[in-house]
Parts: sequence; C-alpha cells; structure tokens
Amino acid sequence: MSLARKFIIAGATVVVIAGVLLAATTLHGLAYQDTGNGGTTAVDAALDLPPAKTEPCLHCHIEGENTSLWTPLARWLVFGALGLVSAFGIYQSASVWTRRKPFEPLTARAAGWVDERYQISEPLSKILKKPVPKFALHWWYCLGGITAFLFVVQGITGIMLAFYYKPTAAEAYASIQFIENEVLYGAAIRAIHHWAANGMIVMCVAHMLRVFIMGAYQKPRELNWVSGVLLLLLTLVFGFTGYLLPWDQRAYWATTVGTDIAGTFPAIGDLVLVMLRVGWDVSEATLGRFYALHIIVTPLLTVAFMLVHFMMIRRLGVKKPL
Amino acid sequence: MTTPNPEQEKDSVPFYPDHVRTEFYVVIGIVVLAFIIGVLGMMFPVGLQDPADPLNTPLHVKPEWYFLALYQLLKYVPPTVIGIEGPVLGVVVILLAVLALVFWPFLDRKSDSKKATWIRLGLSLFILVLFIALTIWGEVS
Repeated sequence: MSLARKFIIAGATVVVIAGVLLAATTLHGLAYQDTGNGGTTAVDAALDLPPAKTEPCLHCHIEGENTSLWTPLARWLVFGALGLVSAFGIYQSASVWTRRKPFEPLTARAAGWVDERYQISEPLSKILKKPVPKFALHWWYCLGGITAFLFVVQGITGIMLAFYYKPTAAEAYASIQFIENEVLYGAAIRAIHHWAANGMIVMCVAHMLRVFIMGAYQKPRELNWVSGVLLLLLTLVFGFTGYLLPWDQRAYWATTVGTDIAGTFPAIGDLVLVMLRVGWDVSEATLGRFYALHIIVTPLLTVAFMLVHFMMIRRLGVKKPL
Repeated sequence: MTTPNPEQEKDSVPFYPDHVRTEFYVVIGIVVLAFIIGVLGMMFPVGLQDPADPLNTPLHVKPEWYFLALYQLLKYVPPTVIGIEGPVLGVVVILLAVLALVFWPFLDRKSDSKKATWIRLGLSLFILVLFIALTIWGEVS
C-alpha cells in the first residue's frame, strides 16, 4: 500500500473520530449543565428520569473544571491522538498478513540464522550424506564405535564422581565411602564407571583384533592403526591410574607393584619410577599425579587421538573385505 | 561425493540417516546396559578393601585383570637368562612387543590375501587363548 493512501486513510479516520468526539463532548456538556433544579439535568428532564445524585458530573469534581466545553474537548483530543497512534499500530501489524513471507517454522529460521553466519550447512550435508558401504553394516564393524561411546559414558560418570572425590591420602578413601553410601545413586554411578571401564578395554581389544584379522591396517591405513594402538595404551593408562584412586590396600599395593615393574627398565628405570611415584614410594603425591593424569592429561590425549582416528576413517573409508 | 551414482547407491547407504540410525540403536543398547549395571550396582556396590596401609603388605598383590596376564608372565621369568636379569629382560621384551604392535603395519607390507587373513585369525585366537589362560592362572594362583 502506498504512503499517500495510508495518509488518506489516517486523515479520514482522524476526521471521523474527531467528529464523533466533538458530538460526544457536546452532548456531555449539555447533559451535565446545571439546570438549577436540584441536580436534575436537561437530559434527565427530557427523558423524565428521577433526579440524579447531588454530584452530577464526576469529571467536574476536579477543581477549576467547569462545565466549559473546551476542557473535556482538550482531554478527548490528547487521548484520542494516543488512541489514533495505537490504532495505526494495530493497522500496521495487521497489514503484515498481506505482505509477509511464506510461513517458516521457528526452528528453520534459527537454523537459517546460524547458517548465514557460520555457512555450515553445505559441508555438514556433505559429511552427513557420505555413503557408507553396505559391507560395513555387520556387527563387528561396531566395536570401535562402542568403544568410543563407552568413553563418553566414562566421561559423564567420571565427572559425576569427580564432584565428590577428594584426591588426598587422608580423604580419598572416605570420599569413596561417601559416594557409595551417601550420594544419591552414587553406588550406581561408581558401578557404571567401574564396569564400563572394563567393557571399554574389552571392546578396544576386540576392535583391534577385528582390524588385525581383516588386515585393515595395511597401506594406506598404517597411521590409523598406530593411533588406534596409542588409544589402547591410553585406555590402559586410564585403568592403571584409576585403580589407585580409591586408596585402599588393593589400589596401593597394585600401584606399588606396577610402578616397580616400570622401574625395572634398564637405564631409565629409576627415572620412570620416580616420575610415576613422585618420590621413591607411593604416597599422597602419587595419588595427586595419578588423579591429574586420570582426569586431565589422558582424557585430552584420548580425545585428540580419537579425532585423528575418526577423521582418517572418514578420508580413507572402510577397507573392503577380501 | 555430492552426486550419487547408481553404482554407489546400490552397495552403500547414506551416513545420515541410515547409518546414524543403526549406531543410535547401539547407543540405546549401551545406555540400557549401563542402566542395568547401575541398578545392580546399587544392590552389589563395587566396594572397597581396607584403607591403604604402606606398612602392611598384603599376601597376594594382584593388578587389574587386564594386566594380570603380563604380571603372571613376568612372575615366571627365571631370575637370570643368559647373564641378563630376568625381570629386566621381561620388561624389555614387553616393550619391544608393544613397539612391534604400534609399528606392525610397517612390518607387514605384503599385499593382503585370503590365506593371510586365516593366518592372522589363527594367530589372534592363539594369543587370545594364551592371554585368557594366563589371566585365569594369575587369578587362581
């Protein structure tokens, strides 16, 4: 709609409303003019109504406001103008119906907003539409994915446990007892963390055996195998460092023996031993080091190697079985 | 990649939604399993032994089951093998084995064949049986 037509409509509306207001105000003034016969107005008299209450006009209560025509008229003009502004707003909003774009759900608009800024939809659809060969739909191709998801499970339950665990010699044991006995579902979370850790190692080895048997490590996938073995070693580091954290007899002595074995390496044995134990014996310092390795260093390395591992699978594809 | 040809259509499925759906079922399965483990874990908690005591060595020290086979292997290495200390030899051999595992693709460079697959299958089963036997032996000893 053109601007001129809008103005014409708005002007006509103003004239009509002003006319109505003027008529109303005039009637108002007439109606409440004091006729001097005890509060009965001219209208009342004309309609043969009983006398009104002694205060004939509520508006006229305000001091200085007489029955003059101009005071209510000015009031009507001010409020009428405001009313016109809102009427114009309603008209503008309603007219959106005639000129708006076809309906788009909010989700699509949000996705469009993000895509305009990150321009991600094209590469993403390429990633999502990548064909997966049908021979890769057997269950034994799932083992690596299961390992990866168990890592996610370990991350989630591990964070939950870390909320309550205290990595000090004095408090570690008691904090595990607290998790087992006091924390809501604490025993369940710890059981999942414990058994999923074992499952992750089983699945990791099963995946490696599958790849080994099918010869999927050969050129050009050598580096994927290397990253996979490193991921297995990282999983074992998770197991070894996590085993110490409950700080019970089994944990303490298994770590003592394990680090002892690492200490028998020729030439670098003592260095390895001291680096692992932070001193000559397993102590609170060892606990702190293993805790940091367990919850920060190893997860970060694992995530990094997993990304490399997955990207290489994407680029090179799944090996066709013989 | 973006223009699928009929040949590709026939022996492949799109990653999304077909393959993702399959993986999703697997994930659901694992979550259900984790839930069951959680419920069982409430009834039979993982538990703890006595608090760590550096002055009191228990009689039988055992690592986690996945280290038990290696541990058992090291336990039965004789004290001296051809003039070298047994345990030292043991860890060096294990380190070399791990290195061989890491760099295996660069050691096995022959082109793959059906026969090689069967040999690798046999080798895997042999190592697996050995590992399980050593683990059980370590567990009962």
